[in-house]
Amino acid sequence: MHGLFRWSSKWWPGVIPLVVFWAVACWTSTPPLEADLAARSTAALRDTVLDKRRIAVAGRDVTFAADAFSEDGRRSAVASVESVPGVRLVNDETRLVPEAKPFVWSAERDVVRVTLGGSSPLPASKGKLLEAARAGLGGVEVVDQMNLSRGAPPRFDSAALLLLDQIGKLKDGKITISDTKVSLSGMARDLGGREAIAAALRNLPEGFSVAANEIKAPPYIFQAYKDPVASSVTLSGYVPDNNVHAALAATAARKFFSEKVVDNLKASVGAPAGFSQAVVPALGALSRLSTGTLVVSDREVKLSGDAFYDAAAGQIRAGLGKDFPQGWQFKADISVKPAAAPVDATVCQQLFADLLAKGKIRFESGRDTINPDSAGLLDRLIETALRCPTVNIEIAGHTDADGEDGFNQALSEKRAQAVIDYLVKAGLPANRFTAMGYGSSQPLAGNDTDEGKAQNRRIDFVVR
Amino acid sequence: MAFLVTFHWGWLLASLLLGLAMGWIAVVHRGQGVSKPVTRWLSVLAVALVAAALSRVIPGRPGYWLDLGLVMFALYLAGCAVGSWLRDWALSQHKPAA
Repeated sequence: MHGLFRWSSKWWPGVIPLVVFWAVACWTSTPPLEADLAARSTAALRDTVLDKRRIAVAGRDVTFAADAFSEDGRRSAVASVESVPGVRLVNDETRLVPEAKPFVWSAERDVVRVTLGGSSPLPASKGKLLEAARAGLGGVEVVDQMNLSRGAPPRFDSAALLLLDQIGKLKDGKITISDTKVSLSGMARDLGGREAIAAALRNLPEGFSVAANEIKAPPYIFQAYKDPVASSVTLSGYVPDNNVHAALAATAARKFFSEKVVDNLKASVGAPAGFSQAVVPALGALSRLSTGTLVVSDREVKLSGDAFYDAAAGQIRAGLGKDFPQGWQFKADISVKPAAAPVDATVCQQLFADLLAKGKIRFESGRDTINPDSAGLLDRLIETALRCPTVNIEIAGHTDADGEDGFNQALSEKRAQAVIDYLVKAGLPANRFTAMGYGSSQPLAGNDTDEGKAQNRRIDFVVR
Repeated sequence: MAFLVTFHWGWLLASLLLGLAMGWIAVVHRGQGVSKPVTRWLSVLAVALVAAALSRVIPGRPGYWLDLGLVMFALYLAGCAVGSWLRDWALSQHKPAA
């Protein structure tokens, strides 16, 4: 042992090459050592959910900065790095992701893009939301402005995914989740979109509720355009369902006796209440115009065009609004068609015959009340009568052979008189007209078929 | 430590061999040795450095360099001790024969 002490006093010269070795070892080994530790620390954190992860190695000391989503997750991440072989010290610069209170997430849609904003609980759910937005919205640009925050309510992901589905149904608008309250505003893309969104909101996960749903529906439009040149009526826009569609088409066919009805209507939900009760009389008013446009937008009815004569314009203006259900508005912009040139008796008779060949004045069954569907035809007959002011006209009523002769005779006379009353009310002088009833004595066709009977029930205008 | 050994076995082996060689020479070396007070001061310095390394007070790269230096130095000393002892034993084997 004593020898060892004695020898050791002479070991010092070897320290000089040792120091050289040491210096070279430090010089060459430090960068690879640091790279090796950084790679193995990163690998140790592979399965840990962290945001803004940063690892810096100096010598064998690792500076580890990251945002963790829970205290447990933060501690276990630090422990993972500490347990990497070779790591001497870990400078723990980790922190928890800030907690959002209230936890607000939003999706906003404008014309060209959808912006996702607010807070998202985890990188995975953020990615899932972005992916769902891109998949669900087709070619629309998706802008991500979401932060990561703690404090999301339970089942946040499924609520947000459900709401992202709804953003596709909006033309523009914003959907917000604030803690567990959902608010929606904006304009639905299609008719029925508002209802579809409201239905989907019933499937919100447990705990979530709708604080405000201010989604507006686009206006429910129904349009009809009467074109005297093409002799057509074009119906376009929406009707509530196929039954109403069929009923309106039938009404149009009856009221527009000489025009071709072009039906471009589509069925859609979202019609305002009382749609049929408003549209049917409005179509009746349009049928009394020479040319005109009817626009029904939500509960507002706008009718514009030319009536055949002054009194008709007044009747339309005054009469239509009265038939409408509660809450409906009517705006009329009715002018009067310029009077046509006068014609002589022969032409007058021809014009009456032409009109009555296209359509017939209809009455309630077995009675002398004129059916409102005939208003358009009567207006045209009145216009014609105004063009031959010097001519006297016989209004001839005819019936089919059903029922007793006496009843038919009386009915034909009363119906002829009802027509004269209508003409007089329109401003024609009563003394130009004579009511004649012929009962079933002058049939145009056999009374053995329904078609024949229908032809025989008629009012004729005969110039005398 | 195990990590240092596996990562730097080449340098550590070199230190050990250097120590063996130095120890082998030291036994028959006639030059000036280190005086006792200096040895004492050097021991204190070594202990202080070991204490600094164990308590990890020196951060970053210098800390790593200190660890590496101390491990190399320890192996050098071990090499010296073994080398000196071997040379001494070898000499004692030869003397009776001579």
